[in-house]
Amino acid sequence: MTAVIFVLAASVVFGIGVWGLLIAEHLLRKLLALNVMSSSVFIIMLVVAGGGGNGPDPVAQALILTGIVIAVAATAFALALMISIYRETGRASITGKDDDDR
Amino acid sequence: MLSSHLIDLVLALGMVVLALQVVSERAVLRSIILFVVFGLVMALAWTRLKAPDLALAEAAIGAGVTGALMMMAWRRLLIINPREPADTPRGRSRVAIPVALLAAALVATIGLSALFIDPPTDTAGRIALDEMVDTGLGNPVTGVLLLFRNLDTLLEMAVLLIALLGARAISKPAHPNEAAVVETGTPLVGALLAILVPLSILISTHLLLAGTNEPGGAFQAGAVLAAGGVALVLTARLQPGDRPGVIAQVAVTAGLVAFIGIGVGVMAFGETLLVLPDTWAVYVIETAMMVSIGLTLVLLFAGAPALVGRRT
Repeated sequence: MTAVIFVLAASVVFGIGVWGLLIAEHLLRKLLALNVMSSSVFIIMLVVAGGGGNGPDPVAQALILTGIVIAVAATAFALALMISIYRETGRASITGKDDDDR
Repeated sequence: MLSSHLIDLVLALGMVVLALQVVSERAVLRSIILFVVFGLVMALAWTRLKAPDLALAEAAIGAGVTGALMMMAWRRLLIINPREPADTPRGRSRVAIPVALLAAALVATIGLSALFIDPPTDTAGRIALDEMVDTGLGNPVTGVLLLFRNLDTLLEMAVLLIALLGARAISKPAHPNEAAVVETGTPLVGALLAILVPLSILISTHLLLAGTNEPGGAFQAGAVLAAGGVALVLTARLQPGDRPGVIAQVAVTAGLVAFIGIGVGVMAFGETLLVLPDTWAVYVIETAMMVSIGLTLVLLFAGAPALVGRRT
């Protein structure tokens, strides 16, 4: 029951993340949406991996722990990219409109 | 039984509502703050799913460090151009809602069908749990990270280092104003730091040592250590510098060097690559990793190649 509840909630959160990623213009918002999506994927990974009586599968836990750290490293790099883009263009977005305005 | 499902339902509902607010909130700063709250609810969800290691990691790294990085980036944007409107217009996409619904349905289908097939009995996790008895480590997650699948962990350290080098390569020298400074004349700041920084060192050391037998480990410890460093950067006790010193370079690469050194060194004694000899090797590598992770995260937060103490 717990597993079903969390799988369903994580699916909805994933959908919300996709929606946020598509409607966001600001790059920081896109990164937030991506992080929300990755959180939901981690939940599903753990629940689906199952495991024995002593808690969830340790290999799945280790992989998710690795994923959390990689996610923060990628986010930090993406934020540095965003700041560079902002310095160059004065915008924190990469929509097609930028080209039309010039 | 019913009440425990009630907790699950509340947590699940909280995740959904907070995620919705994170992506739909108009002010970016509020989105970031709500994301931190979302991360903390996620940490509670991990404890409900009996994964305390992940709860610690989510609270320290997912919510804490990511939130701090996001807020710092937002602050930089405002410093580069103070007239930037705080609320950016949101783009419209006609396909957004259908695509999101399809994505959610796809993930739910995959998740639920994976849930209802018969679980395989001979999984890597089961083998790892069986082998744990011989290792002298009590925490199976640490066992998997440091002994059974340590190539993953080694490469993960490499990814952290590459992220730091990449961020350093693309960022220009920081604007002088961008050095985060709060009012340092207040005596309370010093008193606060005198509590926070030793506490972060104490907690991270505990997480590191406890991590071999209980929930915790190098990653959680490194993130808590980074929190102390972030406090020092925010109060300008540590300021962005131009050139990293020898100590900083050694500290940033210590985890990778210790891991590779011991992992390759065992081959001289006829062992296979990356088969760690004993528990002491786990402790040495985890300590080096903690220092590297902590410093890497602080440097990413400060957006600078190096940190120097405040010149008085």
